[in-house]
Amino acid sequence: MKRALPVVAAILLLTLPLGVSNQFFLHLGITVLMWTTLGVAWNLLGGYGGQVSFGHASFFGVGAYTTMILYLSYGLAPWYGMLVGGVVGALLSLPIGFICFRLRGPYFSLATLAVAEIVRLVALNWEQLTAGPMGLLITSLPQVTLFGNAINWERKEPFFLIVALLALCTMFAATLLTRARLGSYLLAIREDEDAAESIGIDTTRAKLAALAASAFFTGVAGGFYGLYFRYVDPDAVFPISLSIEMVFIAVVGGLRTVAGPVVGAVFLTVIAELFREHFAVGHLIFYGLFMMLVIRFLPEGIWGRALRILAWRH
Amino acid sequence: METFFQSLVSGVLTGSLYAMIGVGLTIIFGVMRIINLAHGEMVMLGMFGAYWSYTLWKVDPFVSVILWVPLMFLAGMFIYRFLLKPIVTGDELNSLLYTAGLSLLIANLALFAWTGDYRTLNLPYAVEPLRPFGIAVPVPLGIAFVLAAFITAALYLFLTRTDVGRAVRATSQNPEAAALMGIQVERIAMITFGLGTALAAAAGVLLVPSLYLYPTVGEILIVKCFVIVVLGGLGSVPGAILGGILLGLVESLGAVYVSVAYKDTIGFIIFLAVLLFRPQGLFGAARA
Amino acid sequence: MALLEVSGLTRDFGGLRAVSNLSFNVETGEILGLIGPNGAGKTTVFNLITGFLRPTVGDVRLEGDSIVGLKPHAITRRGIARTFQIVKPFPHLTACRNVALAALVRLDTHAQARSEAMHVLEQVGLDDKLNKPASDLTISDQKRMEIARALATHPKLLLLDEPLGGLNTREVQDACDLIQKIRAGGVTVVLVEHVMKAIMRISDRVVVMRQGEKIADGTPSQVVNDPAVQAAYFGKRVA
Repeated sequence: MKRALPVVAAILLLTLPLGVSNQFFLHLGITVLMWTTLGVAWNLLGGYGGQVSFGHASFFGVGAYTTMILYLSYGLAPWYGMLVGGVVGALLSLPIGFICFRLRGPYFSLATLAVAEIVRLVALNWEQLTAGPMGLLITSLPQVTLFGNAINWERKEPFFLIVALLALCTMFAATLLTRARLGSYLLAIREDEDAAESIGIDTTRAKLAALAASAFFTGVAGGFYGLYFRYVDPDAVFPISLSIEMVFIAVVGGLRTVAGPVVGAVFLTVIAELFREHFAVGHLIFYGLFMMLVIRFLPEGIWGRALRILAWRH
Repeated sequence: METFFQSLVSGVLTGSLYAMIGVGLTIIFGVMRIINLAHGEMVMLGMFGAYWSYTLWKVDPFVSVILWVPLMFLAGMFIYRFLLKPIVTGDELNSLLYTAGLSLLIANLALFAWTGDYRTLNLPYAVEPLRPFGIAVPVPLGIAFVLAAFITAALYLFLTRTDVGRAVRATSQNPEAAALMGIQVERIAMITFGLGTALAAAAGVLLVPSLYLYPTVGEILIVKCFVIVVLGGLGSVPGAILGGILLGLVESLGAVYVSVAYKDTIGFIIFLAVLLFRPQGLFGAARA
Repeated sequence: MALLEVSGLTRDFGGLRAVSNLSFNVETGEILGLIGPNGAGKTTVFNLITGFLRPTVGDVRLEGDSIVGLKPHAITRRGIARTFQIVKPFPHLTACRNVALAALVRLDTHAQARSEAMHVLEQVGLDDKLNKPASDLTISDQKRMEIARALATHPKLLLLDEPLGGLNTREVQDACDLIQKIRAGGVTVVLVEHVMKAIMRISDRVVVMRQGEKIADGTPSQVVNDPAVQAAYFGKRVA
């Protein structure tokens, strides 16, 4: 019964567009699913590995720009470009990890912040590649026919399905990873990095693997962003606030499980989007507020605490 | 050659204000081991305070600083006592995340209240720069520099000549020993946070005639602040002062001799280099 | 050929020379004690051997091959395991999981690792505490668990850093018995200790350090009667 639950949920999610056609609701769903992907991806390194990165926007942005550039300059459809974007993100993560993993705890976090800012500034100024502050724009998406029908890119449904698939794949990958050897190694590293090293775990390699996986999915999500919003500029895909939001979603939801960031994403994104509908700015108030509340009162996150309460009852 | 001296002077002027913000952050870290990500928002609040007192009551920022410094000192103590104290004992990463949350909260409340519009404060006497020795010194920046130097000197005297100041330094070096010596560490922590906040806010007040003002300005400032503080050595006041001026110089000279676009990048590269190769910074104590 | 050869080992920290031109061998199958007053550099030597620190000068050879410059995990995989002066368990995990993680590095499946862990924990006498979170164990049990975790890597050489620290007389006796049982099982042991009676009783040989240098090297009785050792511990004038 317990194993069937995720499968049922996945099927429900994928068939949702059949029943729901409210475009705002679908947009909300897309936003939630994108942030779910980001939260789960970030958590691979942050929650499982215990390395809190404040620089994941660099992978998101690189994925977004890769997708846009490959489509606009070379005609590669964005749904393939997304995957390439993920790979580029993963490749970028290796030198970043190599530099930053020499540091621990908050110093690692600050270093990732600095690196992400450098990447942003390069993207802002390397105008030949990225068109700088003007950004890149997709005016029309390729014609695609599926089961005899042309996909209508003006509606939200196709995007919902793509991002739902992405989110499900990310969650699946995260689940596999935690069960694999790497998951155990990361657990040891999180508990005590020196002790982990002393029992024969190559901690640098394990951290890099977690980072690369995390960067891959973040990059693919960035590619999706490009596909969905069709406009990408450095302020949209590389800002510090994006990195920080990823951290918040995972921490508020709960670091130690795959489902934690999902809960965090749903919770924070829904509140933020609803707020944004009525007021133009300031939706991040809730991110800040809940982060403070969670650190103070619910260190295992909302989902972590919920699990504990449920375990208690049994 | 004139360009060189011009950018040197500009760098030192801006750097002195960076330095003040950095000193605030470094004393907070020194005493409480908190990396206060909300520090940039304190600068922002100082900026807005000066802006509103000028726009609504016509009080010159260089005068209203007298009001805002003690007010923000009290606000800082309040924030410490009621918001920060419960989580100080946790690990450094947790307090980093917590202050990140606080930063987002304050910045977005400001955004909600005052909108994201860019604002400027144009002082009527600030149109023409002064030209000592042929080098252009914008009037507000010049006055800001003088006041910042004065405030920093006052802080120096406070830290070295008064009992409370010495208690702050003692706690910064070794909180347990300080407690054993009869210093009320909690009280000192509260005072230090108030002091750090006041310094940040003062810098904000002094800077507002020279910078664009918007609620999320803290985001860029905090990042620069880290570069300064890490460069100078976490917890070291002279380090932060030197770090601030150095960053001001690097940015100023970098803009002229490397490129305007990449001048900020230089600061970050230096930051990474320091973190990797000399994590104790120029003046910090080497950590185990 | 000795199992471990340390030659000319030196380590500087800025102006401070923590270990100075240290040379000694560890023969297969022996229990070697490493003693010295506080600050002599003993834990630094362990950190140098296990790769947590790089020597400024000098060499460390395991079965003839130099291991200087290797990272700790590589050295563990070559056959040197260690415990820490201040216990470093994986605090939120059970004792069994702690040890199983170490076994997992060598073995193929979680199931194999788990059964190996249970076996080792039984050997050190912790089989009744398998499922207790490590942070809930007493210090004595945590140290024992850390030894089990090190043993699960199937080392040739086990470095124990003050395994008897903080233990009462009964616990010291039990720990000494365990160390001898470990040696009997084919693992060579080097231990750093301050509890003199114990170390003199179970060590085959003893190396004495003072301020980073070796001042004596021999059997316990040789070392105890060495005037340099006496001076180091008791000061120049000895009754």
